[in-house]
Amino acid sequence: MDKAFYSTKKYIPYLIIGPLFKVIEVIFELFTPFLMKYIVDVGYSYAFEYNDYSKIIYPGLIMIAFAIFGFCSTLVCQKLASIASQGSGTELRNKIYKKIINLSSVDIDHFGKGNLVNILTNDVNRIQSVVAMLIRLVIRAPILVVGSVICAFLIDVYAGIIFVSIVPIVMFIYFLILKISGKQYKKVQMQNDKIVEKTNDDINGIRAIKSFNNEEKEIIEYENLTKSFYKESKKAILTNELINPLTIFIVNVAILGVIYLSTFTFKNSSISYDKGDVVALISYLNSILLALIALCNLILVFTKGFSSNARINEFLNYKEVIEDNGKIVKESINEGENLIKFNDVSLSFNNENNVLNHIDFEINKGEIIGLIGGTGSGKSLLIKVLERFYEFNEGEVLYKGINIKNYDIKALREDIGFVSQKAQFLKGTIKSNMLIGKSDATDKEIIEALKLAKAYDFVKEYEDTINHEVLEGGKNFSGGQKQRLSIARGILSAKELLILDDSTSALDYLTDKEVRKNLKKKKITTIIISQRCSSIMDATRIYILEHGEVVGVGTHKQLLKKNEVYQEIYASQTRSK
Amino acid sequence: MKYTKRMRKYIFKYKGRLFFGFLFGTLFSACDILIPFIIGNIIDIFEDTLSLSSTQGIELGIQNIITHILYIAALVILLILFNYLFGIIISLTGERICKDIKNDLFEKINSMPIKSIDSKQRGDLVSRIINDVDYVNTAINGAFKQFYSGLITIIFTIVFTFILNWMLALIVLILTPISFLVSYYVAKGCFKSFKEQSAIQGNIGAKILEDLNNIELIKSTNYEKESIKKFESINANLFVVGKKAQFYSSLTNPSTRIINNIIYAILCIVGVVLCALAYYKENNMILGATCTIGIITSFLQYANKFAKPFNEMSSCFGEIEQGLSSFKRINDILNEEDDIDIGTTKITTKVRNLTFDKVNFSYEQNKPLIQDFSFNINKGDHIALVGPTGCGKTTMINLIMRYYDPNNGSIELNGVDTQIIKKSSLRSKIGLVLQDTWIFKGTVFENIKYSKPNATKEEVIEASKNANAYSFISKLPNGFDTIISDDSGLSNGQKQLINIARVMLKNPEIMILDEATSNIDTRSERKIIKAFNELTRNKTSFIIAHRLSTIVNSDNIIVMKDGHIIEVGKHEELLAKKGFYYELFNAQFDN
Repeated sequence: MDKAFYSTKKYIPYLIIGPLFKVIEVIFELFTPFLMKYIVDVGYSYAFEYNDYSKIIYPGLIMIAFAIFGFCSTLVCQKLASIASQGSGTELRNKIYKKIINLSSVDIDHFGKGNLVNILTNDVNRIQSVVAMLIRLVIRAPILVVGSVICAFLIDVYAGIIFVSIVPIVMFIYFLILKISGKQYKKVQMQNDKIVEKTNDDINGIRAIKSFNNEEKEIIEYENLTKSFYKESKKAILTNELINPLTIFIVNVAILGVIYLSTFTFKNSSISYDKGDVVALISYLNSILLALIALCNLILVFTKGFSSNARINEFLNYKEVIEDNGKIVKESINEGENLIKFNDVSLSFNNENNVLNHIDFEINKGEIIGLIGGTGSGKSLLIKVLERFYEFNEGEVLYKGINIKNYDIKALREDIGFVSQKAQFLKGTIKSNMLIGKSDATDKEIIEALKLAKAYDFVKEYEDTINHEVLEGGKNFSGGQKQRLSIARGILSAKELLILDDSTSALDYLTDKEVRKNLKKKKITTIIISQRCSSIMDATRIYILEHGEVVGVGTHKQLLKKNEVYQEIYASQTRSK
Repeated sequence: MKYTKRMRKYIFKYKGRLFFGFLFGTLFSACDILIPFIIGNIIDIFEDTLSLSSTQGIELGIQNIITHILYIAALVILLILFNYLFGIIISLTGERICKDIKNDLFEKINSMPIKSIDSKQRGDLVSRIINDVDYVNTAINGAFKQFYSGLITIIFTIVFTFILNWMLALIVLILTPISFLVSYYVAKGCFKSFKEQSAIQGNIGAKILEDLNNIELIKSTNYEKESIKKFESINANLFVVGKKAQFYSSLTNPSTRIINNIIYAILCIVGVVLCALAYYKENNMILGATCTIGIITSFLQYANKFAKPFNEMSSCFGEIEQGLSSFKRINDILNEEDDIDIGTTKITTKVRNLTFDKVNFSYEQNKPLIQDFSFNINKGDHIALVGPTGCGKTTMINLIMRYYDPNNGSIELNGVDTQIIKKSSLRSKIGLVLQDTWIFKGTVFENIKYSKPNATKEEVIEASKNANAYSFISKLPNGFDTIISDDSGLSNGQKQLINIARVMLKNPEIMILDEATSNIDTRSERKIIKAFNELTRNKTSFIIAHRLSTIVNSDNIIVMKDGHIIEVGKHEELLAKKGFYYELFNAQFDN
């Protein structure tokens, strides 16, 4: 089903009434040359023969009246068009946004962020243009062309034939040129992409470029790129600029044709023109030309619109990875009771190798669990499975003793305070970002959490403390500050469990130690994921992951004594001579 | 340089081409203006011939008409030629000018001091080179093509119509500007609401991107509903503004149509009335103006011609305005000072030592960073720099590499102040492995040999083996010829390894590592450290790291805090001092 155009459902009346008003304007327009013909032939002779100027003036006034009514009619149509097109655009945008927000990570990876942004913005805009054009022009241009041709026939059959033949000729030339220059513009676009890429690369790597003394090299390469761009643009321009002269040529040829035809009036043939006929025909020719050009541009808008429509439909019809959502919610459990249990859990993407392989893992309330392993070992994935960002293929996960697939996802996420590897912030204030974690947090609770995360040290230095601005991505804070703020937010939102996914990497050992001390004091059940032994040394139990498998379980002391992998990791981080 | 002067510079470079372009444009208009006149003539001849009865006279009349048809045909051929030439010359010149601007901007970015680049937003710089130059191109086309041809057409039309029939010309002259005013105000209203609309559209784009970048946060905190609510309110805004913008923009054509139609009608009425009045006069003249149906026909066409340029000119005002503001932004960049390298000395001998002598530095005046720093590094020393985030470590690199210069004091290489050493000479002695890796779009081979452009393939392979990058590179789809880029799917660790291979290839005497290995997992890190030890064996190295494991082996450790050196010494000495270093180190072993 075409879900994209479905969003215009509400506006179907507009799609019908709008064009009708346009038709009224066109009809008025088509009448005008006939009025002119009347004035020039009948009105003129009546005037100089009988001194009766009424047959000039009255038709003239009717022409003016037609113009005004036509204009008002168009205004109605334009108004309807803008409401319908913007309205359907708005509906569509809301629909698309809702779907995007509820996508799983797998789905987002499937589409790509850039693509999703484009679908929501550019593609919807194109659809809007199409709807607007549908209402405003789809009726006007063709009717104007057809109407003009009919009127030409009414005046003289042969003139009509000339009109009928120039229509396909103009359209053919237009399309031919557009097709050729379209192909050429793709090449131009490619060159432009290269220039954009190089510009980006250069600005991002300016230090590296200077450190290798390669400034000259870059400049020369860039000049080559702009030269190529110019060459391709030149070809496109040489083709494109043909449109104007060629259309002028064809129209003038048609005009000359009509004039030539008019000479047959004197040859006693079936052709008999009044001068008013010539005047009217020239007028119709001019309006046909404008309408044809508009029609061709319309088709361009439609092609772009159709491809956007296809993309939007593909998106809306996409069956997202459905998160099984159960309804069960269990309130608190007691200290020591099992909170999470992974039984033989495996996960693979696209039927490739398992990225998580037969994982057994558990955490009881009150414990601090450490998860250690190198990049790519699967530790973050394990957590994402827990948070249900990814669905595992084999095995079973129990949350508070209940199969996680039967547990209410929102309640599950409500329970868990998740501090991701890369600190995430929304534009706003420190307070607004903290509230994301707990929407009803009081200022006191916020400050307490900031203190626990050793973030209050710097927050209190700001004049507006917790109301201090947070820019896009938190870029007005250093790496260490971002992590501490993130941890504070995690603390606020952790009802049952706090997960720190390598979220202390930018903190020095001292600060890291103090934060962990604070968490231990507060008795928050925590999972700490890290690459550093020092971060997980005090854990109740440590799991070592390598290539998606658990290769060791135990306390720090136990692992140090018996586990080779752990020994290696420990040694590499604390190697003394 | 003021932007007007710079604009003139760019434009005057092509004054020859532009002259011919404008010449052809003028010739086009000249030919174009004659055609309606000749058509009008034909209509008069036609009418006269109609009233003739003698076959001879009729024959003559037909001949006359055909001759006029041939005149028009000739004019048409000329004018389409002129039109085409006008169009391509102007468009191509516009492209040339923009090519020059792009090249100049790029060159400027590469010769600006790092300080200036740091002070700007990167996205903004890219936007100036790409988007602003684009706007300038559109403006050039708008100004030189549309505006010029519109202006010429109007001038010719006014002159010609007055010659033909001053009374009708007056009507056209007085009424048509109304069309102009109407389209001007519509365009203005358009421009305003379009600006509003694109601002909100920008917000929508920014919001969805932000949400996607923070999707884990939104999902893990059940923030979806809030997000949707926020979005819907932005969207509702867009609906209101969008309706207005679209409505305004859809008014342009209809509003000019109605004015034109009214003018048409008035011309028709007045013109034909005059013709009727002139019917019995000599030469069909009234008050010195010829009034025949033919003239009316010509005038109707001239009225058309007269209105169109007004529209074109008013529509390109917006483009010209945008182009000017874009050019001003471009000019701001081009006015930036170049990074003048006053250094002339080249260091040709081997590096013996690098000395900091009472160096003081800060990025902002009231926030002092490095204060009174003095230290000596001898050839072959391995120095480690340790300290909490923000204590001044990256700044040290900026100073050594002369991306920034000290406010007071000096850094000396072999006893020579680095500020008088040629920057390229200084930098050629130093190998830098930064925390942020830089991969540009190109093959692996090109990326690695970036440090030594005439390196052979064997040298590149050897360097990548030393950096332990060889194994993963050979597993890539095209091996060393695989095209990579900054977001091409290489892991941080892999990018870092390529970076390291680059520096290995350069084989400089001084190595500076800025937390180079903290992105790579612990196991690979050890392999790299081994390789570095090999490479730094007979070199001088300066390692800035978080991981104490990488610095425990160094000859000397500098401990920094808040821009000050607070401790210097070997590992055991510092532990014995039981100071800040002792605390940092023991934080790892807390039981």
